[in-house]
Amino acid sequence: MGSLSQLINSVLVQLFKHVPWLASCWARRHRFVEGQEIPWAPLRKPLGETRIGVVTTAGVHLKSQPPFNMDDPEGDPTFRVVPSDAEKAQLTITHKYYDHSAADQDVNVVLPLDRLWELEAEGVIGGVAPLVYSFMGHIDGPHLRTLVEQTAPAVARRLMRDGAQAVFLTPA
Amino acid sequence: MIQRAIEAEGIPTIGITLLKEVTRKVKPSRALHLRYPFGHPMGEAFQVHQQRTILLDALKALETVTEPGTILEPGYRWRRHGFGPGP
Repeated sequence: MGSLSQLINSVLVQLFKHVPWLASCWARRHRFVEGQEIPWAPLRKPLGETRIGVVTTAGVHLKSQPPFNMDDPEGDPTFRVVPSDAEKAQLTITHKYYDHSAADQDVNVVLPLDRLWELEAEGVIGGVAPLVYSFMGHIDGPHLRTLVEQTAPAVARRLMRDGAQAVFLTPA
Repeated sequence: MIQRAIEAEGIPTIGITLLKEVTRKVKPSRALHLRYPFGHPMGEAFQVHQQRTILLDALKALETVTEPGTILEPGYRWRRHGFGPGP
């Protein structure tokens, strides 16, 4: 990516961060895959007996894993699998579409693993599922179809297999 | 959409959203909306009380929300709300 387009991207990231109405304008105009009926599953047990799975679209991954694709202007529909007890020093963020300087210092800002483990120790939740599924939230064009038809259902099946009884999701 | 796919497998979900307009269109089962900047769904770095409060608000929604498509609005003001004693 040329340095001019990198500069433009950086400016846009800061503008969207600091000018809320810009983000709202974008959201109103951007065509999303609109839901019709709303899928619904009830919580079956009290929270204190429920194992919580975690998904994020903030672009978090292990340093040892390949980064998300930042060269494709339509983003990347793939996901990374991160152990929920990973050391923070093993984690990094690949996502150029938001300002993650705060998350770089404290990953709990986008992926509150420390907070979840604390709640587990206190008995507020029944447990934390062993694996976190992490996407990079800029997914557009043909990648949307890949997400809807392949990668999102694959993660859903994995969460079932991991014994997640409820799932908590964070955006970028 | 990822949230909808997971719910469709039979697992209840709750997602934080920073963009209510998007959430209204995509229609996940349960959402917690914060008027926080991009990159800060759980609040500020090292602010443990803040992060914990937001997380608890979200998780409790799994028990309290009964209407599919509900978007909860705790109304915390970015960097203004007092979440508790210190970080």
